[in-house]
Amino acid sequence: MTYRLEMKEMTKKYGEFLANDEVSIQLKKGEVLAIVGENGAGKTTLMRMLYGLEQPTSGEIKLNGKTVKFSGPLDAIENGIGMVHQHFMLFSDFSVTENIVIGHEPKRNGFFDRKEAAEKVKALSEQYKIHVNPLKKAGDCSIGEQQRIEILKVLYQGADIIILDEPTAVLTPIEVEELLKTIQFLAEQGKSIILITHKLPEVMKVSGQITVLRNGKVTGNVLKQNTDIEQLATLMVGRELQKLTDRNQLEGEPLLVIDNLNIGVKEAKPILDHLSLTVNRGEIVGIAGVSGNGQSELIQAISGLRKIDSGSIRLGETILNGKSVAYIRNAGLAHIPEDRYLWGAAKEASVEETGLMGYYRKKKFNQSSFIRLNGFRKLVRGWIERFEIKTTSLDEKSGNLSGGNLQKLIVARELGFETDFLIAAEPTRGVDIGAMEYIHEAIIAKRNNGDGILLVSSELTEILTLSDRIAVMYEGKIVDILDRNDATEERLSVLMAGGNENESSTKTTTTA
Amino acid sequence: MNLQRKLQQLLRSLVQPLTAVLIGLLTGAVAISIVGASVLETYKVMWDGAFGNFYFVTATLARATPIILIGLGLAIAFRAGVFNMGAEGQMVLGAVSAALAALYVPGSGIIKMLSALVAGFLAGGLWSLLAGWMETRFKVQLLISTLLLNYVAVLFAGYLVSSPFQDKSGSAALAQTHMIDQAAWLPKLFQGMSVHMGFVIAIVLAIILYIILRFTSAGYEVRMLGYNPFFAEYGGINKIKVLLFSMFFSGGIAGLAGTVEVLGSQYRYVEGSLTVPGYAWTGLMAALLANSNPLGTAVAAIMLAALQTGAMGMERNTEVPLEIASVIQGVLILFVTAKITMNWWKVKKKAGDIHGAA
Ligand SMILES: Nc1ncnc2c1ncn2[C@@H]1O[C@H](COP(=O)(O)OP(=O)(O)OP(=O)(O)O)[C@@H](O)[C@H]1O
Ligand SMILES: [Mg+2]
Repeated sequence: MTYRLEMKEMTKKYGEFLANDEVSIQLKKGEVLAIVGENGAGKTTLMRMLYGLEQPTSGEIKLNGKTVKFSGPLDAIENGIGMVHQHFMLFSDFSVTENIVIGHEPKRNGFFDRKEAAEKVKALSEQYKIHVNPLKKAGDCSIGEQQRIEILKVLYQGADIIILDEPTAVLTPIEVEELLKTIQFLAEQGKSIILITHKLPEVMKVSGQITVLRNGKVTGNVLKQNTDIEQLATLMVGRELQKLTDRNQLEGEPLLVIDNLNIGVKEAKPILDHLSLTVNRGEIVGIAGVSGNGQSELIQAISGLRKIDSGSIRLGETILNGKSVAYIRNAGLAHIPEDRYLWGAAKEASVEETGLMGYYRKKKFNQSSFIRLNGFRKLVRGWIERFEIKTTSLDEKSGNLSGGNLQKLIVARELGFETDFLIAAEPTRGVDIGAMEYIHEAIIAKRNNGDGILLVSSELTEILTLSDRIAVMYEGKIVDILDRNDATEERLSVLMAGGNENESSTKTTTTA
Repeated sequence: MNLQRKLQQLLRSLVQPLTAVLIGLLTGAVAISIVGASVLETYKVMWDGAFGNFYFVTATLARATPIILIGLGLAIAFRAGVFNMGAEGQMVLGAVSAALAALYVPGSGIIKMLSALVAGFLAGGLWSLLAGWMETRFKVQLLISTLLLNYVAVLFAGYLVSSPFQDKSGSAALAQTHMIDQAAWLPKLFQGMSVHMGFVIAIVLAIILYIILRFTSAGYEVRMLGYNPFFAEYGGINKIKVLLFSMFFSGGIAGLAGTVEVLGSQYRYVEGSLTVPGYAWTGLMAALLANSNPLGTAVAAIMLAALQTGAMGMERNTEVPLEIASVIQGVLILFVTAKITMNWWKVKKKAGDIHGAA
């Protein structure tokens, strides 16, 4: 039989660099193909070629046996290919419906027919069991909802092949479950799906076929029933994964002390509500919570990016509240931000410039306000080696790094400050399992060194593996703090949904 | 390897402005043949008008001087990610303040000259700082406030020289100040040629700015703020401080553009002498064509000045009307604005999807 999609010996060169080297994939109707591989392996590049965003250096794309060429995404859409972007491309002032039909609006007498559009969206949402509120403003939607809008948009445009590039990286566990169900359902309805992810359990759950990429080449193509997570991991990183280093018992004195912190007291629901929390030296405190319960604001308040209404934040003897970011960083704070493209880097800046942030103020790299680039370059080269950051040179634009490699650069930069205290927000978002292991090691080493770490992550497994204590946030409050040994995924889930531990689980089902 | 990369980067950054110029010239060629003249000959005459002999070369450089300075001032603001559209007002205020300082500060010629330079810089800088301050304090959009402040500045300068400080000695009471003392003039670079010390100031400033932007921490802060203000803030850069500084220097250098025109070629402030030739807008174009690279801005400014002086030569010597130059400039503007619109579009999109991973 003919495949719905065949990509044959696709090659993409950036200058001398081979991002894709004769990569071939096939996809049938109703099939889910997972593409996995290390950061920088070339997964996104391959998909960008399929979606017409990038022209292949050589290779052939066949749809239902016919060779096609796409000059741009519009071409690809025309041919039934849809892509849900890692960065959502929604107009935040437009309604959900408008965002979905944009470009192909139903018209009456030449005018946009709002009513019909809303009906169409509703029908589509019912047909594929993807729940959205058609009239809401896209800007007011949660991240999971925004993603559903993107998927519906792709379906509305008539896609038969749907590309999802790391769709679960930003979702909460419940949203992930939903998305996986949607993927399965879409496949049952005859859609073909390409899923890129670093989370192997997801791969095992929904995909039929798995293609493994490494350094731009296909290193394996297996059927789900013939493989398991361990084998996939080995195929991906070329070695077996290790167990994390043991943590030594430490009894550290308090390092970060937050006392009665309030933000947004005037609003209907306060953003942070009488929040108190202490992180001791030699301790990792994890913050668990459904995103949007004040975690981001808490991080921003500590690091000086957001004004607080009342309360105090101390780092050792230094008062942090009301101080500038530079002052706070100087006092001993480093910060891996939750969104690498918003806070963590400038896409237009070079790798070196992104790495330089903060360091250019240090005496060592600053001679009467001239930046000493030579010394600094050595440092960055060290990071690149240690974290295996794939980049063609230090002058490469940060935006050209693969998502995971940029994340590694940011992690390396912040760890490199060797501060007493570190905020690690989603530290492994988008990095491959090998790099995740490395970053986790580095964080634990920092802890064992007697530094304090505040970890915020939407990955419960990450929280559970790393944290000494786990604080659960709900509606701007810390509702409970559990010891590492008492915490389980189930208990955390109940607390995260606003349920009280002592109450029965009936509460969870109503609030979740 | 590294050098090769650098060269490649340089070439790549040149592709866009060069295509713009090429297409501009092609469009000009079409226009020239429509009016029935020989394209090659007309362009030859234009070239001669700009660079044909030493005199024309110096005339071109003289015209380029204020354009370079305006372009440099704008480049700083653009690098910091702020859209200073107020170069004209800043230049005019700088010019009139410089003229008044040169006229009324007591002392020797050199003291008059120096105080004029300082006054011109400060006037432009503070005027621009006002817009910056309104943005940081009251969130008044810079793009709009700077545009509006142009009118205020130009009218105010016009008022100053048409009533309190007007030179009434001449027969046709023009709106202008008295002539400043010859000892305070910026010297000409060559006897009998119009290019003056201001050109050297402009080029030196271009080099200094290039070095500052590239190699110093202040330059780094400006660039990062322009690339991504969130990243800058997160990294500990004082956004407001950098923005205000950038606006101050941006306006100050625009003020300097007016100042050197006064001290080096007009020797007084004459109403309209800076606005009519459209220096501010040509400078804006130079900065945009060069993507706000200071050295590139200087080169682009000289090119645009050459286009204008060349066109004058063409009008003197052929039947082809001066407007051909406007056609070419128009195409350049089209290119430049297309680029801005695209960038703006991208930024707008980015603002809409600040969540997400990759
Ligand atoms: N425009 C570009 N110019 C130069 N190099 C590029 C460009 N785009 C991508 N690359 C390089 O190509 C390689 C593959 O990138 P790609 O984004 O496809 O990786 P990926 O497999 O999606 O990684 P990740 O899991 O981190 O998202 C990377 O090393 C990247 O630096
Ligand atoms: Mg990718």
